[in-house]
Amino acid sequence: MNPAPDDYLERVKAEIRSEAERARERAPLPRVEIAVARAEAAAADGIERERRDYAIGELTGPDHRAFVERAFRALLKRPADEAGAERQIALLAAGAAKAEVLGDLRWSPEGRRLGVRVHGLLPRYLLAKLSRVPLLGYCVDWALALAGLPMLLRHQRAADASIAARFEDVARVHAEAAQRFDAHAAAQEQRWEEQDRRNAAVAEDIRRALLRVDALERRATALEEHTHDLAALRHYVHAINHWVVSLQRSLDALERAANAERARADAFAASVAESAADAAARQRRHAAWSAALKQRLGDGARVLDLGSGAGAWLEALLGAALAATGVETNRALAERALARGLPVAHGEPADALARCDDAALDGVALAAALLADVGAAEALLTHAHRALRPGGVLLLRVEPEPPLAPGAPIDAARAAALLAAAGFADPLALTESDGAAVLARRPAP
Amino acid sequence: MRIAVLVPALAAHDAVSNDALGIGAALRRFGHEVAVFAPHARGVDEPVRPPGEIEAWLRSPRDVLLYHHCTAWDLALDLLRRVRARRVVRYHNVTPPEFFAGWSEAHVHACARGRAELDDYAALGAELYLGASPFNLEDFTRRGVDPARCAVLPPFHPVEALLAETAPSHRVPAANGATRLLMVGRIAPHKGDFTLIDVLAACRRAFDARAELLRIGALDASLAAYGDALRAHAAATGVETGVLALGGAGTADLRAAYASADALVVLSAHEGFCVPLVEAMALGLPVVACDAGAIAWTLGDAGIVWPERDPHLFAATVARLRADAELRDALAARGRARYREQFAPAALERGLRDALARLERVAARTEAA
Repeated sequence: MNPAPDDYLERVKAEIRSEAERARERAPLPRVEIAVARAEAAAADGIERERRDYAIGELTGPDHRAFVERAFRALLKRPADEAGAERQIALLAAGAAKAEVLGDLRWSPEGRRLGVRVHGLLPRYLLAKLSRVPLLGYCVDWALALAGLPMLLRHQRAADASIAARFEDVARVHAEAAQRFDAHAAAQEQRWEEQDRRNAAVAEDIRRALLRVDALERRATALEEHTHDLAALRHYVHAINHWVVSLQRSLDALERAANAERARADAFAASVAESAADAAARQRRHAAWSAALKQRLGDGARVLDLGSGAGAWLEALLGAALAATGVETNRALAERALARGLPVAHGEPADALARCDDAALDGVALAAALLADVGAAEALLTHAHRALRPGGVLLLRVEPEPPLAPGAPIDAARAAALLAAAGFADPLALTESDGAAVLARRPAP
Repeated sequence: MRIAVLVPALAAHDAVSNDALGIGAALRRFGHEVAVFAPHARGVDEPVRPPGEIEAWLRSPRDVLLYHHCTAWDLALDLLRRVRARRVVRYHNVTPPEFFAGWSEAHVHACARGRAELDDYAALGAELYLGASPFNLEDFTRRGVDPARCAVLPPFHPVEALLAETAPSHRVPAANGATRLLMVGRIAPHKGDFTLIDVLAACRRAFDARAELLRIGALDASLAAYGDALRAHAAATGVETGVLALGGAGTADLRAAYASADALVVLSAHEGFCVPLVEAMALGLPVVACDAGAIAWTLGDAGIVWPERDPHLFAATVARLRADAELRDALAARGRARYREQFAPAALERGLRDALARLERVAARTEAA
């Protein structure tokens, strides 16, 4: 079954041995003394190793397990092993005499080797063994029992006294134990009651926790439903967003178209030629109005002309020695006026007026077409009132100029009413055959 | 034929008990009527009778009383002396008492008595002395027993159950790449635990600072001083954190332990057999062992056996096993083959049949004489 060592393993082992030597050199082990706890204290274990002589009374004193242990240590000089002790205890339980147990140990092979002497053991052991012989043993037991009856009676009486004394001891110990037990039981009862209270508190906590859990479950359910609603809402928002974006695009397109249309309209309006008769009438009209304005404001008065068109009216104001500047919405017309050297800016009249400081102007001239929208008219007149110095004059031109300007036509009477409504005073209409101008003053505070 | 199997004690996860019950089961399969007798039985799922009934149960001089000797027991010796049946002394070895000197007086007494009884058993003239290994039989041949009355039969074991085990272990931690040395067997002075700790220290110093020793086996209460000394030694060598002592282990834990280790490291100074060697071979785990008792015979060429107990040598061997896949695979293959050929249930039953045949021959010759 044991094969010869093979070359492969031998070669590997040689290599390992070399590696082990290298390992020993580079990583030696520290010297550690093994602390063997020698059991010299065995002498204290109750084994009298040197003693070879006992009186039987020394060994028969203890009872039951203590007797067996004592017997092993005295006769075999060692502690009792578990199987051996159980066997001897079983013998005692079956009614065997202690002498028989001692004899079994003393004359076992192990006991014979040790040869411990127990005075008085041999005859007792022989008698015990003799009593094991069928019939003869029975007779011997009877004979011994009869012969020993007086002694047995004394032993019985002594045993009765001993048992009575032990009963008294046991009763006393029992009473003390009962007292301790009662005390422990009372203490335990208190602990149980305390524990019951704690349990009740814990149960109440658990009940409340369960209620909270129920409430949370309900909220979770509601949240779940809301989640469904939110999902639907999200869907709607997405749809609306899509619709708004689409609408925005459409509006952008419309705005672009409107701007283009407006640019075309402006270009068309700017391209309309004025007849010679109309031009002569306009110059006459403007000369009269600008003279009236100059009369009220004086030379060099600061006048802002809103809705200058191609600059004809602005030109009249400048000709009347007023420091006038203009603002025109129509880019084509504003560019044409600039080309003629007139001080005109392209922009919204309302914006230009809003940027003026309070009481910064002596006069403001407006084309009536700018007041066609009531909302826009109110804002425009309010700002004009603010920008004019107290006593400053506002002139409202009511004439078909520019010829194709948007908005509803406005007459002088209505213009005067608007000015009065905006807080201007002393309206004066300068009426010509083809137009009118309304002059009004910002009253002094 | 009636065969009475007598054991000093029966317990679960005990090598002698496993052998006694395994032999009993095999003999029943051979067609014999078998009863197991023991004064104590714990965790054994089989009817066990009290030894006092043996003489009544054995009816014929041709019946057999098979006694498993592993400790001192007067009753068995007395019974073997007077029983009217063929007698087989199944010998598991008794550890020499000197190993326990200084650690446990009770063990010293028990082992000394067990060894002393060998003279009585040798003088008994039993029909068959059935040793678990040739090493065991030397105890009887040295005492003049006729070699013709001697036979070797390795112990029956539950290794097949170990091989079939699939349950997970909750007690064996993963090695996580660290070198892991494994030793299985009760913790006792002859198992070489001090040297095992030195091997671990050498491993950590020279090869792998994370190396650990997984120690499976129970420590008898009367050997508490030995356990304390082992702990002190581990602390003195600085490896106390690397020693994982699991105590006794069930089949799942044992299987996991073998699976997680790099090698079974056996440094016992005395082994009459050593079932963990068989377990390791069956599971393909390489074995590194010191040549003592029956270890070299049990391992054959399926492990690395050193004559000396040099910690660096064992540490270097484990390191080589981790690094050398060819060596590892070769030893695993040899181990599995040796298990199949020598220690698998079929091989053991063959050996038991041979032993019974030898018993018959000796008995016939004795009766003729």
